Amino acid sequence: MKYLKTLLILLVLTLLVSASAIAKVTITLWYPEGQITAGAAHFADKTLFADFEAKNNCKVDLVGGDYDTMRQKIFAAMAAGAGRVPDILFVDRSWVPGLLKEDALESVPEADAKQWLAAVSPEIVELSDYGNGQMWGYPQYGIDVYGITWNKDYFAEAGFDPERAPQTWAEFLYYSLKTTKKDAAGNLTRVGYAIRHVGHPHGVVHKFLWALWGAGADLITDPKALKGGKVLFNNEGGKAALKLVYDMIYVDKSTSLNFPDPRAALLQGIAAMQISETISIQARQPKEAPNLRWGVDLPPVRYVGYEPATNLNSWFYSVPRLSMNKELTWKAIKWINSVQRDYELCAKYKSTPRYKENWAKPPFTTDPYAVALRKMLPYGRAYPNNLGLDGIMEALGAAIQQVWHNEAEIGPALAEAEELANKAIRDAAK
Amino acid sequence: MSTSLTFASFKHWFLVIHRRKYFHAYLFIAPIIILFGIFRVYPAIQTLAYSFYNVELLRHRFTFIGMENFFSLLEDKIFLKATFNTLMYVGCIVPISAGIGVILAVILCAKFRFRQFFKAVYFSPFITSTVAAAMVWWWLYNPQFGLFNNVLKLLHLPPQSWLMSSRQALMSIIIFSIWKTLGYNMIIYIAGLQAIPEQYYEAARIDGANNLVQFFKITIPLLAPITTFILIYNTILAFQIFDQVFVLTGGGPAYSTTVVVLELYQQAFLKHRFGYASAMAAVLFIIILGITIVQYAISKKREIVY
Amino acid sequence: MKVLQSKEYAIFAGKIGLYVVVSAAAVIMVAPFYWMFVTSVSPVQDIVSFPPKWLPSYLVFEHFVEVLNKAPFHFYYMNSLTVAMVSVGCSLFLGLFAGYAFAVYKFPLQNFFFLLILSTIMVPFQVTCVALYILVAKIGWVDTLWGILAPNFASALGIFLIRQSIKSIPPDLIEAARLDGAGEIRIVLTIIAPLIKAALATVGMILFLNSWNDFLWPVIVINSRNLRTIPVGIALFKDPYGSMNYGPLMAAAVISTAPMLIAYFFSQKFIVKGIAVTGLKG
Repeated sequence: MKYLKTLLILLVLTLLVSASAIAKVTITLWYPEGQITAGAAHFADKTLFADFEAKNNCKVDLVGGDYDTMRQKIFAAMAAGAGRVPDILFVDRSWVPGLLKEDALESVPEADAKQWLAAVSPEIVELSDYGNGQMWGYPQYGIDVYGITWNKDYFAEAGFDPERAPQTWAEFLYYSLKTTKKDAAGNLTRVGYAIRHVGHPHGVVHKFLWALWGAGADLITDPKALKGGKVLFNNEGGKAALKLVYDMIYVDKSTSLNFPDPRAALLQGIAAMQISETISIQARQPKEAPNLRWGVDLPPVRYVGYEPATNLNSWFYSVPRLSMNKELTWKAIKWINSVQRDYELCAKYKSTPRYKENWAKPPFTTDPYAVALRKMLPYGRAYPNNLGLDGIMEALGAAIQQVWHNEAEIGPALAEAEELANKAIRDAAK
Repeated sequence: MSTSLTFASFKHWFLVIHRRKYFHAYLFIAPIIILFGIFRVYPAIQTLAYSFYNVELLRHRFTFIGMENFFSLLEDKIFLKATFNTLMYVGCIVPISAGIGVILAVILCAKFRFRQFFKAVYFSPFITSTVAAAMVWWWLYNPQFGLFNNVLKLLHLPPQSWLMSSRQALMSIIIFSIWKTLGYNMIIYIAGLQAIPEQYYEAARIDGANNLVQFFKITIPLLAPITTFILIYNTILAFQIFDQVFVLTGGGPAYSTTVVVLELYQQAFLKHRFGYASAMAAVLFIIILGITIVQYAISKKREIVY
Repeated sequence: MKVLQSKEYAIFAGKIGLYVVVSAAAVIMVAPFYWMFVTSVSPVQDIVSFPPKWLPSYLVFEHFVEVLNKAPFHFYYMNSLTVAMVSVGCSLFLGLFAGYAFAVYKFPLQNFFFLLILSTIMVPFQVTCVALYILVAKIGWVDTLWGILAPNFASALGIFLIRQSIKSIPPDLIEAARLDGAGEIRIVLTIIAPLIKAALATVGMILFLNSWNDFLWPVIVINSRNLRTIPVGIALFKDPYGSMNYGPLMAAAVISTAPMLIAYFFSQKFIVKGIAVTGLKG
């Protein structure tokens, strides 16, 4: 009994001592880890925040999770309350409206926001500014721009100029038809244009927006507004956009539903063109298709003279409202997104920077990918900030799938999508 | 007088409890009841209770809205499609998986060489995690490079779209699920078959019955309790299918493979409509409970005690 | 020259037929595994070639190296194993007693409790996991192995199966033991348990597999890298829409599955041998 008592006292003492030794504040950062998430690659380096940790006597804990179940994990953590929530959430920017709808994020301090918006290039402003200079987080470097990427050899083979992308829909249809290949039995072995029609509705819509915008239609009346508005895709432009690909599948037969992912299709050599995140091709081509010669440009427009449009997306550093060390957290975020760090990391991971002054420095002045992007970025548009964004994407994605799978006619599908999407917008505004 | 009477009845009551072993009974089930109660029953009840509320978990705001969630469910086209898909799935997989399971079990109870090896082979899909197995099958189903289409091409048959087609996707998932679960059914049936006394078969053989007759007149009826269990358990699990749909198709294309738990998941975690998702869970629970009771009642009628 | 009788022909043909059917079915069952193993050691070109390469042109181990480098699989193994052993051991022990109580005793609220336990299977875990997470967070078990174990200390399926198998034990046996003066606990441990060895082994195996392959709950409750379990580790290699990175993914799948297959092969005999032998025949 006596020994037990002394043992207990010793135990308590050691616990107290060790607890005080861990007086260091810890900031946790959650990010999606794994093959899917190239934009979070720098977190694999656990010494990323080493200098910051030393200067501020703290620890930055980088916690990777599975992308598919990340939203569930975030939700459960937030439901459990302040102790469970990480300090920094590194998420896909298209998740932000959903989080804003739940009032879950902390806005960037005004002074910092002003400073950022003045120093970064216009497309980053587009992604950062949620209206009137308010920021809910910082977009990551290595912006996702959607563009058309094509196989130069297949273009040359079909008699086209390998350095030039099709500019209009008419050309696009023609190029697609001419670059297909079929086997003896008539099955497509190579499609002209690879489409994305499976998987999450968001992804389907993202890779369709070029056509929607190129036809003069849009997702919503005011993309910057957080609440309110109506969708703008149930019109002549929207129908034409859907019909474009529909005809490619069933009339021209220059593409097919059997090719799962456009990026993989291009890299595997079974597609001549595809329109999606250019950064994917940039990152994956050296390893997966070392012999591929590929070009990148803005997607085709409907008629000559129409203004090109393409979508922008990025990863996003955000801070939950329930975070416990807000001051230190914002400090850490500013640190990792400073001008020097932006330059270092972009050069290291062969990506594109955010600050205007970094764009003016090599290698970004000469690297072909950066140069091509610089030309395309002014035409980029962010997704709507509307809190009902998820509902809009779901509805439109479903309509797209149903039309291309011949489950519904274009008119009724878009009408139904419009109804569901507008309802989602109204519900989110409550 | 009255005190001694009450004392006597109390003593009698105490003896009854002791003889009927109530103390032991509750002692033995207490740990389970407590653990289940805390970690399983309580969360389940709380969740089902949420179905009557508009739940904003992150704002900790709960607004009572009665049956409104349930009425919305009836009008929700996607939920109805999900329910339809789920019913189709259950209707296909339960009889097929159980049927193949019993046939394999019978075959593997006969004595022949490499029997143990084959048993292991048939059981092996059950050992893998659904996520890993689904990834393998995603690859097998790949229209350009997957094994299945390659084999079809070798046989000069037209390649199929499998998971890419809104008409074939659900069937593709069903095939995967059958592959994954029949080993489990087989093992349970084997255990049951081994419990059937050999005497019955001997007697039948002496009476001149051949193998097929033996199968139908002895094996099947005596396996009835096991069959009941297998059908009920498989049904309960099949209604809650999630993992393979999540990995293989995510519910598409065009809602052709969306199932109730997947839709519930999306409502809860992507759209943050937790009350609505709870209502779906409640409806699913009632459906499962109803079908289980029906199955159990039917089986009770047919059970043979030996 | 020996001429076989028609009856012998029939038996012979039947045997051949049996072998053919069984082998064909086995090939179908195993093909995905075979493909998984082969892909994990094939060079990238072979993985996407047509006609399919049933045997790799040469063996590569870089996929395994990549997987083992990317993630601390030794930790994952330890965690999965620890969780599985504790969960299964606990479930079997508690399930044995509870199954016995439900099978042998008659007591008030018996059916209510039994149905309550069974009904927990009918509510999808997707939905209860949030309430469970909040609860576990309050206890302070988030990001610990205890947190993973919380809903897994007992299994409704286990209780059900154990109860079923105990029901088939003749009550006379138990009465005889009681008359001999054995206490209830001793009866359960020394008489009942050995009799239902086969059932216990089967239940144990199924529960072990469920624990080993459990994905959703560990993903939510665990944040630290070193506390992850294997399925969580594997999930990070998936990317169905794109990469040709099937080599590492299949290697990860092999790392996860192989020990189970080996363990299964070895435990085969044990499971088969423990057939119920009743103390009283007839």
